[in-house]
Amino acid sequence: MDEFIKVTFDILSFSCIMVLVVSGLAIIASLMGIFNFAHGEFVLLGAYTVFVFRETGLPVWSGMLAAPFLVGAFGLLLEVTIIKRFYKAAIAAMLATYAIGLIIRETVRGLIGGKFWAIEAPIEGVFEIGESSFSIWRGIIIILTIIIMSGCYLFLTKTNYGLKIRGAMENPSLARACGISTNKLYAFTFAFGAALAGLAGALVVPLYSLFAELGLRFLVQGFLAVMLGGAGTFEGPVLGSAVIGAMVPGFQWLRVEIPFISYLLSPVFAEVFVFLTAIIIVKFRPQGLIKKGRI
Amino acid sequence: MSPIIKKASLFKKILYRQAGVIPIVEILLLILLIIIPFFVGDFLTIIITRMLILALLAISFELCWGYSGIMTFGQGLFFGMGGYAVALFANKADFVQLWGVIPIGLIVGMCASFLIAWLLLLGKRPPELIFIALGTLTFSYAAERLVAGWYWVGGGNGMSIFEYLRIGSFEVEPGRLFYYIVATILLLVYLTSRFLVRSQFGLVLAGARQNEKRLAFLGYKVQKFKAIVFCFAGAIAGLGGGLYAHHEGFIGPGNVGIGISTMAVLYALFGGAGSLIGPIIGVLAIESISFTLSDIDAVRGYWPIILGVILLVVVTFKQDGLLGFVVTQRERIGSFGILKATESKPSETSQHLKNEKNDSPS
Repeated sequence: MDEFIKVTFDILSFSCIMVLVVSGLAIIASLMGIFNFAHGEFVLLGAYTVFVFRETGLPVWSGMLAAPFLVGAFGLLLEVTIIKRFYKAAIAAMLATYAIGLIIRETVRGLIGGKFWAIEAPIEGVFEIGESSFSIWRGIIIILTIIIMSGCYLFLTKTNYGLKIRGAMENPSLARACGISTNKLYAFTFAFGAALAGLAGALVVPLYSLFAELGLRFLVQGFLAVMLGGAGTFEGPVLGSAVIGAMVPGFQWLRVEIPFISYLLSPVFAEVFVFLTAIIIVKFRPQGLIKKGRI
Repeated sequence: MSPIIKKASLFKKILYRQAGVIPIVEILLLILLIIIPFFVGDFLTIIITRMLILALLAISFELCWGYSGIMTFGQGLFFGMGGYAVALFANKADFVQLWGVIPIGLIVGMCASFLIAWLLLLGKRPPELIFIALGTLTFSYAAERLVAGWYWVGGGNGMSIFEYLRIGSFEVEPGRLFYYIVATILLLVYLTSRFLVRSQFGLVLAGARQNEKRLAFLGYKVQKFKAIVFCFAGAIAGLGGGLYAHHEGFIGPGNVGIGISTMAVLYALFGGAGSLIGPIIGVLAIESISFTLSDIDAVRGYWPIILGVILLVVVTFKQDGLLGFVVTQRERIGSFGILKATESKPSETSQHLKNEKNDSPS
């Protein structure tokens, strides 16, 4: 029973981290049709903001509060100057965002001196269920993820602005004909996605440590999650990222439980296995788990 | 046929054939590459050999992206796998013969790319461009992680090859001879690729790049054509990797995966995507800049940032790259197969002439 709770908590916590990281990516990909290769670096920037706040002596939580706004503003700036040119060309947009990501990553690497920096959570400690103990911060991330995701869902389905976004997603030219400024909407969406990424980075950095490749590992998993869930919906990528997030501790758990495959599934292979499984699922179900036009 | 038509066709032939900057660039580059080892020292020759090996990588990317519209981040993967295969043969089986290294690289690259093409390209419905890009990116990343954590192939430290490449019992040290071997291989690969993309096969690819649906309606199995090119490009990348491992005497996780795949993209885009000579120029340009800057301590740390800025500028402002300054769009698209410009047009022309003849007496 304890084992069961532990595994469930692990799976839940990893899934929530993935959902948190992927949501920004998914919103941009669904609405604008742009796969933002700089997304991982927005996550990194969020984490870096916390680092900077801590270095200047401010409390860690204030950095976490500020991160989404700062990264969102940065995203808006990028959108207005560069991303704007690439609405029609997905591949060019991909290359451009990749270049932006490369620039950010290498700059941050230079700024933090290529080291690993541990950042402590604002609330340390553990809580206990039965015999086993769990990190409080992981629990808080789970709760925050649920709150943020419900907020996003309500925002997209219930508010006027959400309606406009969904309209522009469904049929951009018709939305423009109705007097909705899609360009403004795109700029806002990109900034919103970036802000979500920044928040995600700020929240998860105590669990990982701050290093330059922090974003990259999330980026690849995030793309798989979006492909797996199906771009163009809200629930799809959330579900996809939950599945991807669940697979990592899932495979780990299998490895411990079943000695025969423990050799096959050493940690390195487990990660590769996750990628492979996801790609194969996408191959046989290219439209994703959830079809488009449902939001 | 009347002499007028012949004259017209000859004129057209000259018109179509004459506006060629690319052949001039090709010949100049070839001459430069042949004579350059006599003018620079051994050290620089080794550096240039390395560039030529990377040119194989750039060509393989160019075949995928510039000619068939497959955005791939997987060329680094095939490159690295070729290198690792060769290094394994050298370290575990003491096999360092040149005649073996070339086919090993080719076959490993081709098999790997075939597997990935089967997973990503071939299917009931044509995959989206972005899916191929993300899929190849994923595989590159996974491969990098895999070799970095797998101790049998050296883990994070990579593998060194301690013996020189051999022909029979003769050792080929990195230097002038190695340079000419690589240059010959590059020339052969270049000519084969050039023949391929200028043939009717290349015409199908160009059609698929422009309008895939229309070509599918005409009855072409576009995905199969793309898969064939992808495998061919993978083989070239694998060959490049094999040579690279022997030339540097080392292959590591940094040579597999995203980093080197990005470099392939960068070479091709910077030099000028859409022509085969562009990527080679891109390699020479970028690697020369990199080599020059690596002597200056203040700038060296910023090199990756500079690369990012270059990529951004090229994608945003100058999509046809360096070669775009001298080559027109029309020449870039080029002609395919044997030029038969006179066959369809003359019937029209002769019709006109007949009409004129008919008109004139009346």
